[in-house]
Amino acid sequence: METMALVVEGLTKSYGDVRALRGVDLEVRAGEIVGFLGPNGAGKTTTIRCLLDLIRPDSGSIRVFGIDPQADPVAVCQQVGYLPGELALEPNQTAAEILRYFSRLRGNRVDWAFVRTLAHRLELDLNLTIKNMSKGNKQKVAVVQALMARPPLLLLDEPTSGLDPLMQQEVYRLIKEAQAGGATVFFSSHIIAEVETIAERVAIIRQGVIVEEAEPEALVNIAVRRLRVRFQEPVEVQPLAAVPGVTILSQDDSVVTVQVAGEMDGLVKALAAYPVSDLETERPSLEEIFLSYYEATGDEQPQIEEAV
Amino acid sequence: MWAEFLYHLRRLRGRIIGWGIGIGLYGLMMAWFYDAVTGMGAELEALLASYPQEMLAFFGNVQLMNTPAGYLDTYYFSYMTMIVGILAASAAAGMVAGDEERGVLDLVLAHPISRTALFWARLLAVVAALALVLLISWLSWLPAIPWGMEITALELLRPFLPLLAVLLFIGTLALLLSLVLPSSRLAATLAAAAIVANFLLVGLANMNDDLQPVLDWTPLGYYQGGLAVNGLEWSWLLSLLGVSLLFALLAWLLFQRRDIRVGGERSWRMPRSGRRREAASET
Repeated sequence: METMALVVEGLTKSYGDVRALRGVDLEVRAGEIVGFLGPNGAGKTTTIRCLLDLIRPDSGSIRVFGIDPQADPVAVCQQVGYLPGELALEPNQTAAEILRYFSRLRGNRVDWAFVRTLAHRLELDLNLTIKNMSKGNKQKVAVVQALMARPPLLLLDEPTSGLDPLMQQEVYRLIKEAQAGGATVFFSSHIIAEVETIAERVAIIRQGVIVEEAEPEALVNIAVRRLRVRFQEPVEVQPLAAVPGVTILSQDDSVVTVQVAGEMDGLVKALAAYPVSDLETERPSLEEIFLSYYEATGDEQPQIEEAV
Repeated sequence: MWAEFLYHLRRLRGRIIGWGIGIGLYGLMMAWFYDAVTGMGAELEALLASYPQEMLAFFGNVQLMNTPAGYLDTYYFSYMTMIVGILAASAAAGMVAGDEERGVLDLVLAHPISRTALFWARLLAVVAALALVLLISWLSWLPAIPWGMEITALELLRPFLPLLAVLLFIGTLALLLSLVLPSSRLAATLAAAAIVANFLLVGLANMNDDLQPVLDWTPLGYYQGGLAVNGLEWSWLLSLLGVSLLFALLAWLLFQRRDIRVGGERSWRMPRSGRRREAASET
């Protein structure tokens, strides 16, 4: 029988009149890397904070390696390395002081040589005071503290927030290495590329309910892309609009912005007939994908397969 | 728990040093003046006699000013409850709610430390910080003995115990308020304001006996001040400590049940109309 790292059933949580979670059901197998996706305010952070007993759900049940966080939060926290989405650290302390404090809270079971290795890989100066650190460096401290005890479960809320692309890659490598060492990783994000890079499975939350669980590839297939094409001269774009999945968003003189759902092949072939001087492509945010997706289906509980 | 106690005490070290030096220097100065003030004898009595009786009554034990107990009470212990009370209120109100507002509590509680351990470790650190400030203060008064104050070091230590008890009362009240009110600063301010109001009430009750029953319901009604040099009123001391413990237990219970915020102060929850409630539930 598979060991479950996380089992969440029927989780609900309200803040006053606002229903943040409306019945979250979720399972994460031990050793998996699962991305937790959703637009802002969807309930990602609330779910993660319930797992750690930082906030108490109104109903539903949670098991972290079989332990109920409300019954034994200390036992749960011993298993977990947590990286908060909204990071705040004691401003007058150095990174080393803060990490030593967290190490003491874990009973001094942290290998300090490993801490130095992590800091070195993330190019983090442990002697810097937090108040003198950039947002990215503070995020590195948070990454180190989450990983340093080599916990069996990593709960990471937007782990690469504020990091430059090189450091993001390093964090992805560290997460992969943690998984290789036996850890389960459950991380929230609203960056599709991040999820594609490291997640084996994705759970999508919207308005406090899990609307889909899927492989990242399935998500990519619903991802619409936006292209801005600069032509050498003004052109007639109607033939482009006829390409399946292509929508013309705007045309300004010789610059045309189009949105493409699904494969790019048809559009690229159609563009070959035009004098193109420049081409820019961008992936829309998850919110935009959700928006276009819901607009397209008009469905409250969409299935990814239907959108492909 | 020990790690958390030491950590929090270390975070309070700036305040311990700052308050300790300030209060200590003041104590040293007043210790230096003791011989000169009490040496005034008849002149001092004449000076006091020239004051309006209501004013003398407001300040209580002024007529005993030429004794160690009266001097300590008038120039130090009567209003140290207000002054060091500010430290007690701010340190206690900030120990949980303050960290929560700054967003740093979230990550700490995601580590293997129970809320109970964190709460009591930090409260003990606040108590230790207050005790250390008072210890520095006591040390600063010790030179008064060779400078002419006829008192032993142990007798000099006695009035610091009721002072500590009142500070714990203020601190635990601020702590409890910080877990009830939306802002830790508001909680500290209210607790400090309460002790200032209580100080004024003591003075007014000295002038008007009808206020004495009201004073009996306040912490300073059970505060000996400098007169504790002559012997401790244990029932008063234990009453203050008992109520402080009750406040602390209530605060602990509230902390146990509380959702930890990511940061920021709470807001007062205002009643909403049905339409606004429906709109909110859709967000």
